[in-house]
Amino acid sequence: SAAAADVPRNFRLLEELEEGQKGVGDGTVSWGLEDDEDMTLTRWRGMIIGPPRTIYENRMYSLKVECGPRYPETPPFVRFVTKINLNGVHNSNGVVDTRAVSALAKWQNSYSIRVVLQELRRLMMCKENMKLPQPPEGQIYTN
Amino acid sequence: MAENSGTDPAVNTNADENAAKGGTIIMVTVKTPKDKEEIAISEDSSVAQFKEEISKRFKAKQDQLVLIFAGKILKDGDTLNQHGIKDGLTVHLVIKTSPKASGGSTSQASAPSPGVSSSNRSTAGAGNPPPASTANQSQGTGPSAAPAQPGNLLSGFGDLSNLAGLGMGSSNFMELQQQMQRQLMSNPEMLSQIMENPLVQNMMSNPDLMRQMIMANPQMQQLMERNPEISHMLNNPELMRQTMELARNPAMMQEMMRNQDRALSNLESIPGGYNALRRMYTDIQEPMFSAAREQFGNNPFSALGGSPDGSGAQPSRTENREPLPNPWGPSESSTTENRGAGSTATTTTTTSTSGSTPSVSNPLGVGSATVGNGIFNSPGMQSLMQQISENPQLMQNMLSAPYMRSMMQSLAQNPEIASQVLMNNPLFAGNPQLQEQLRHQLPVFLQQMQNPEALSVMTNPRAMQALMQIQQGLQTLQTEAPGLMPKYIQMPMILIPGGIPGAPLSTGGGLPSETPPASAPTSTPAAGANPSQQQLIQQMLQMFAGGSQSTQTPEVRFQQQLEQLSAMGFINREANLQALIATGGDINAAIERLLGSQPS
Repeated sequence: SAAAADVPRNFRLLEELEEGQKGVGDGTVSWGLEDDEDMTLTRWRGMIIGPPRTIYENRMYSLKVECGPRYPETPPFVRFVTKINLNGVHNSNGVVDTRAVSALAKWQNSYSIRVVLQELRRLMMCKENMKLPQPPEGQIYTN
Repeated sequence: MAENSGTDPAVNTNADENAAKGGTIIMVTVKTPKDKEEIAISEDSSVAQFKEEISKRFKAKQDQLVLIFAGKILKDGDTLNQHGIKDGLTVHLVIKTSPKASGGSTSQASAPSPGVSSSNRSTAGAGNPPPASTANQSQGTGPSAAPAQPGNLLSGFGDLSNLAGLGMGSSNFMELQQQMQRQLMSNPEMLSQIMENPLVQNMMSNPDLMRQMIMANPQMQQLMERNPEISHMLNNPELMRQTMELARNPAMMQEMMRNQDRALSNLESIPGGYNALRRMYTDIQEPMFSAAREQFGNNPFSALGGSPDGSGAQPSRTENREPLPNPWGPSESSTTENRGAGSTATTTTTTSTSGSTPSVSNPLGVGSATVGNGIFNSPGMQSLMQQISENPQLMQNMLSAPYMRSMMQSLAQNPEIASQVLMNNPLFAGNPQLQEQLRHQLPVFLQQMQNPEALSVMTNPRAMQALMQIQQGLQTLQTEAPGLMPKYIQMPMILIPGGIPGAPLSTGGGLPSETPPASAPTSTPAAGANPSQQQLIQQMLQMFAGGSQSTQTPEVRFQQQLEQLSAMGFINREANLQALIATGGDINAAIERLLGSQPS
């Protein structure tokens, strides 16, 4: 039933919230609730620090992550807020193509928001991406 | 750790200040990709105040700090409360360095500063000496380039700068060289200046010349035999050009290095790739390194040679390894003899690698400084002299280099370039007196170099010894009877050519004649520097192509000037001649000289 699924979900998300606040990980990505009052723990914000020695270096990329009601059984919905030119990210609205990111394409419920963010960051370091010309810093998708 | 409730007694003085702002103090962890610090801050503070604390702790400017918490960027106007930042939580910090610097914290000193600064990665480190040395080998050409660069074995210049050091009191050559290196290391500006020297750049833009120079080095030839790939590289003009471009542009160099690293690390991940790499290393890099250790002048170029070979093929591995051996460090093995034997003057300056033993040019270099200085009798000088006599091989080798000879000749004909070369030596810059002396003395001994007899004298160890004795005698005489030194300049000058050849060698980088080198060595007061420099450069070029020479005695050359001087009323023809020789034919300077010696 819905209630039974909610407990593990909220549990999970609260855990992720705490991890985000405690800075678990290597410090290159960050995540947290978009709105602290959001009791459903659905809307999240993520931040990826552009990896060095790539075209993304020194930039901070803001993302929106949405964890639906069936999370973590289903992957979250991810989109970039900061404009970026990256394979697998729609140029027009920053939506991340689930098929392009293996963490999303082959989602497991042990994965987390952190995993997705870190994977996106890894993608930035790929040969095919690391030199893509980027829009000027600070631009965001408006839709 | 910190308690949530109540006012924590000041954890540090900051806490006091923060407490004044009201509210409880909380401990917040600030984390960068490299670093982690705990900062005490009032929970009511604003982000701006928090940043203030952070900037103190991380030693960065406040406006360089970007704070991220829970996926959101903290704006200065926000409060910590607003974002829910509580005690024990972690905030991410990104320190923005200059536009093109590494992302994340500044702890990645990938530093835009070109050249020698020790970069965060050994590869970059290895990359830097190569361009520097390549530039050197290629000849620290230009006046400034020569001695200042570390690992500059090529130009005997490095040695001349030693003599400047002597002038400054240090009698230990190795120390001097180390000083020089240190100076350069700590001042990457110098290197960039050097690189920007149009002379250097011009030299480096001539791939053929570069290749010639490199090939002329026997060590290099050996290396090439052992590793045919290297000769491929050298023979590929495109590659050469690219390499030189690289060497010229340190930023590009770093870029290239990074790409190399990336390529290599990719290679590693391929199954069997690691082994291939390892093989590469043993096959290519080791011989290169050993060649380098014997002869630092070689390696940088070889290392560089590897880099343009972007395919990840063999030599590319080179610069990825540890930094090149410290040329200025304590000598590994090789005695002067080993080095001397079979190495031309260019590489001889191996002094660097040798460490303890001054190179061939050294003793000679010392000679020039000592003239009229009394430095001649310094312990360093004497040990040098000893070494010269002990190692006649060195001298011979140095002098027998064909280009050496022609260099000397061209230089002799044009003392201006020599003086410019010397003047631009950064080490010299600190000692104007020495500069003055050298400037005056240069033209004279350059004359000497024209004299083939002088050359043969230099190659004859016993003759050298005799000369030394005479010189010492002269020195004594000078101190005992100062008024009795008519020709004291002549003799010591003979020794100088050894040092000077190093200089011309560097300048000889066969600059294209179009070069307006005048712009580079601006310090020389020589009149008409431009045309004469160009002339010299052309001569140098010809030199490499087989050389031509013309010799004239000073009297003939300065015939016109002598006449002018006598017309002005300077009737002492000998003094006139001396003055003219000393000033290289510059009448005005000669007049000053003459007037200086006859106060009236």
